[in-house]
Amino acid sequence: MALTRRQFLTRTGLLAGGAFTSGLWTHPLVRRALADIGDRFIVSLFLDGGNDGLNTVVPLDNGSFRNFRQSYEILRRSGPGGLRLSQAELTPYALGNDPNTATPLALHPGLQGLWNLYQLGKVAVIQGCGYPDYNLSHDVSRRIWQTARLNAMGTGWLGRYLASRYSASQVPALSMGYWVAAEFAQQSTSVLTAGRLRELDFPRDTWYSEEHAPARTAFEAIYASAQASAQGLLRFLGNTGSATLQATDAYPTLDGLYRTDRSSWLDQYNALDSSTARNLREIAKVVYGIRQGVPNVNARHFSLANGGYDTHSNQGTVGANDTHNELHREVGDALEVFYQDLEDMGMADKVLVFVWSEFSRRPQQNDNGTDHGSQGPMFLIGGKVNGGIYGNHPDISDSRVLNPGATWDDGNTKYSQDPSNPHRSTDFRDVYGTILKHWLAIPHSEILANILPLDAGPPEDYWTSENFDLVHPVNGQPLFLP
Amino acid sequence: MGDQNTILGESGARHLLRRTGFGAPPAAVERLAPLTRGAAADQVLSFRPAKFKPRGRYTAQVRTSWLKYMLRTPNPLQEKLVLFWHDHFATGDDKVRDARRMADQNKLLRQFCKGNFKAFVKAINTDGAMMEYLDTVRNFKDQPNENYARELMELFTLGVNDLAGQPNYDQQDIVQIARAFSGWNWDWDRRRPVFRNWQHDYNSEYPERGEKVIFRTRGNFGPAGRDFTQPGGEGPMEIDQVVDIIFEHRDSDGRSTVARFITKKLLEYFAHPLPPYPQNAAIIDPIVARAQFDTTWDLARLLREIFVDDFFYETAAPAPFDASTKKSVVWPVDFAISALRLLRVKPRSDRWGNWWVEGGDWSNISSAIGDMGQWLLEPPSVFGWDWEEAWINSATLLARYAFARNLAGARGSRTYHVRSDRLIDLNLTAPGDIVDAVLRLLGVPDQFSSAERQALIDYLGGPLDLRDEYTRYRKLHGLIALVLQSPQFHLH
Repeated sequence: MALTRRQFLTRTGLLAGGAFTSGLWTHPLVRRALADIGDRFIVSLFLDGGNDGLNTVVPLDNGSFRNFRQSYEILRRSGPGGLRLSQAELTPYALGNDPNTATPLALHPGLQGLWNLYQLGKVAVIQGCGYPDYNLSHDVSRRIWQTARLNAMGTGWLGRYLASRYSASQVPALSMGYWVAAEFAQQSTSVLTAGRLRELDFPRDTWYSEEHAPARTAFEAIYASAQASAQGLLRFLGNTGSATLQATDAYPTLDGLYRTDRSSWLDQYNALDSSTARNLREIAKVVYGIRQGVPNVNARHFSLANGGYDTHSNQGTVGANDTHNELHREVGDALEVFYQDLEDMGMADKVLVFVWSEFSRRPQQNDNGTDHGSQGPMFLIGGKVNGGIYGNHPDISDSRVLNPGATWDDGNTKYSQDPSNPHRSTDFRDVYGTILKHWLAIPHSEILANILPLDAGPPEDYWTSENFDLVHPVNGQPLFLP
Repeated sequence: MGDQNTILGESGARHLLRRTGFGAPPAAVERLAPLTRGAAADQVLSFRPAKFKPRGRYTAQVRTSWLKYMLRTPNPLQEKLVLFWHDHFATGDDKVRDARRMADQNKLLRQFCKGNFKAFVKAINTDGAMMEYLDTVRNFKDQPNENYARELMELFTLGVNDLAGQPNYDQQDIVQIARAFSGWNWDWDRRRPVFRNWQHDYNSEYPERGEKVIFRTRGNFGPAGRDFTQPGGEGPMEIDQVVDIIFEHRDSDGRSTVARFITKKLLEYFAHPLPPYPQNAAIIDPIVARAQFDTTWDLARLLREIFVDDFFYETAAPAPFDASTKKSVVWPVDFAISALRLLRVKPRSDRWGNWWVEGGDWSNISSAIGDMGQWLLEPPSVFGWDWEEAWINSATLLARYAFARNLAGARGSRTYHVRSDRLIDLNLTAPGDIVDAVLRLLGVPDQFSSAERQALIDYLGGPLDLRDEYTRYRKLHGLIALVLQSPQFHLH
C-alpha cells in the first residue's frame, strides 16, 4: 500500500508528537523511516498442535548452572519409544549457550534449514515464551496466543492493529488456507484467504459471456446493500464478498508474474513438496508483486499454519519417517528457501517471519510421545533480525518437573515473571510488543492502550510490566537492527 | 413473545424448515405455516432414527455416501443432528485411518441423535474411531495418556469454564480420569472394544498416584470429591462411573453443568450465539427446566423445548434487518445440500465416492463442500469446525459462488441438472414475478430488501419469454446463480 502522508505520520507517531514542520518531511531520518517502516511485511507461522520445545531447542550438554543435559536425559529416554536426541546427533546443529545457565543448546537436526539461516545471523531464538497459569487446552491456549488475552476472547492481536490502520474497503492481510487466522480476526477491514492465488478466480457464467457484465452489476449492488446493512453478520458478509470480488481482479496476475520472473525459485519451493513450502511460495508471490508495484495488491500481513504437532504418541527422534523430525524438516527447509528467495528479490530486510505454537509439551515423555506442556521457544526470522538466543531456557531441573508423579502438579516448567528468578520466562506479549513497536512502529502507549493490555495480578506471576525493547543478551543491540 | 401455541405463519415455517432441515421448499412452508410451534416441532421430531450406515471402504466413499443420504432423507432434522454430533464428538479419519470405523461412528451418532445424552456419551467412550482418534487405545498404565480424559470434559460434557466463567475441573481431575480409561483397547479380530486387566492402572500398583477421586475442588462435590471406583470397584466399569459423576457436576451457581453446556451448544447451532452471562443463563435455564433435561437427559424433549422457544424464533424476522436482528451463518454442507434439494437436482455418482452435477464443471460435490471449509469426516481438529463468521472468507465464499454457478449453469440430461421448466411457471413474463418465483423456490422471499429485489429485477432487464430454452438458460439460470451467491442465502 502506498502510504499517504497522513498515514505515515500517524504510524510513526510524528503527528501525535506535534513535532511536524514542513522541513521535517525531507529530514533524512524521516525519509529513511518511510523507506524502512512504511513498507514492512509480517508472516505468522503457527505450529498447530503444541510443538515439543524441549526437542526443538535442546540442551546439548550441561552448563555452568543446573545440569540441563542430565535432566533432559532423565526426562527423555533412549531406546525403543525413547525421544532422546543424542549429543552426536545434535552437535552439528549447535546454537550457542543459554544466556542464563550457559547450557550449550542445539536445534533439532530436522531444522537444518532454519539452522543455516541462524548461521547467517538471521534467526532470533526466543526461549521460554508463555503466559501465566498455562492453559493446556489446544483451543484455549491457541486463542490466548492469537488474541493476546488470557480469557482467550475477542479480536486478534494483529487484528486490533489492522483495524486501527486500515479501512473496510482495504485488504491488508492474507491467510493461507480455508480460515482467517484468529490473530487477524476483527470486523473493520478485510482479510483475504486462499490456498493458492490462482484460486482467487471469480466464477462467471461459462456459457454466456454476455451475462458477465449484468451479473456483476447485480452482484455488486446486492453486496453493496449488505455492506450498508445495520445487521452485523450481513454487513460482514457484504464486506468480505466485495473485497473478494476486488481481489479476484488483482491477485491472480501475481501468479503469472512470479512464474515468469522467478521460475527457478518456483522450482525450489515445488521440489520441497510440502504445504508449508506451497504456502510460503504463495506469500512470496505477493511480496514480489508488491515489490513490482502491481496495482490493488496491498496484503502485507500473512498467516500460515503447519499441523500435526500434537505428538501424544509416536513422536520419534531423527529418523526419516519420525513424526517430529518430518514436521521440523518441512518447516526448516521451507523457511530457508523463502528467506533466500526474499534475499534474492531484495526484500529480506522488509519481511519478518515469526514462528509460534500454542504450547510446548510435557518435559517427561510418556510411552513414545509427549502430553501437553507449557512455555516453549519462538523463532523470529528476517534480514533485520539480530540473530541469537534470547530469553531463558525453562527450568527442567525443577523437582516438580523431574518427578511429577510425587506431587499434584502437572509436571510442566513454571512460568514466572519474578525478576529475582534466574529462569524468568519471556511473556509472549513482550515479543508481540517488540514486533509492534520496533517492526511496525506503533507508539508504545498505543500498544498498551489498544493492543496488548497488561494483566492485573501479583507481579511475580503475571505480566504487569512490559518490555517492548528486547535486546540481544550478548551484543546488547535491539532485536531488530536499524 | 410466543410459546408452543403460537401459530407459525409463513416466516416462522420457513425459519423452522431452514434451521431443522435443508432449505424451505414452498410446499413444506405451506404445510407448516398454519400449525402451532408445538405441533410443527412434534412433526419435524417425529422420525425414528434410521439404521443407515454410510457405505464404503475409503473416506471419500463414506463421505459421499453420507452426503447423498442427506440429499434423499425424508427426515432432514435427523441429518442436521448427526452433523451437529459429528462436529461435537469431532473425529477425523486423517488420524483414525479406517473409514469403516468412521462409518460405524456415523451410525452411532444417528442412533443417539435425539436419544439419551448420558447413554450417548457412554457409547462414545468405547466407539472405535474415537478410541483411535483421542488415543484411548494408547493409554497404558505406566504413563496414562490424558488426551481423551481432557476432551471428555472440555469438549463433550462440561467445557473448560461454566457459564459464569469459573473453571469446571483441574489438571488433577484429568490425570485421574486418564487412569480410568487405561486398559481399554481394540479387539483387532472381532472389531470391538475390549478391556485388558493387565493394561489397566489399579491403585494397588500405583499408590503414589493418589486416590481415584475427582472434583475435589470443582463441581460442588465438596472437598472429598467423588471416587469413581465406587460403587462397583475398579475395572471396566470405571469409565461409566466417571460419566455418571460428570453428569452430576454443578456450576458455581448450582445448576447442572452438562445440561447447560449441551443446551447452549444446541441453541447456538439451531438459533444463533447467546449473549454473555448471566443473560445466557436466563435463556438456557428455563428450557432445561421445561424439558427436565438435567434429570432425564432426553435430547428429543430438549429439542422440542428449543423449537418452541422465542430465542429460537428470533432469527425468523423478515427483511429489512436492523442492528438488533439476529442472524447465523449457514454451514457449507447445509448450503450445498439445501441448494440441491430445493432445485431437485439428482447428481450422478460413481463407486469411488465421486458425485457431480451432470453438465456443469463435473467436479466432485464432496470436494466442493470441502473447499467451502467442511471436509466431512476430517474436521480441522478435535474442536470440530469454527462456526459463524469463521465460515466466511474469500476462499470459502469463492467456493460457494463456484458451486452456485456450476449448479445453475449445468446442462445435463433429465433430472441430473436444474430442470427450471418444471420448477418455475413458464408463463411468467414480468421480471418482478419471475424474481419472486425464484426467491420462493429457494425459500428466501422474506430475506431480500426491496432494493436487493430490484437489483435482481434489473438483472433480468425486461419481460422474458421463459418458454424459450435459450432465454431460460441464459437469464433464469443466471438469476438462480445470483440468488444462491447473494449474502442472504448464506445467512439464516
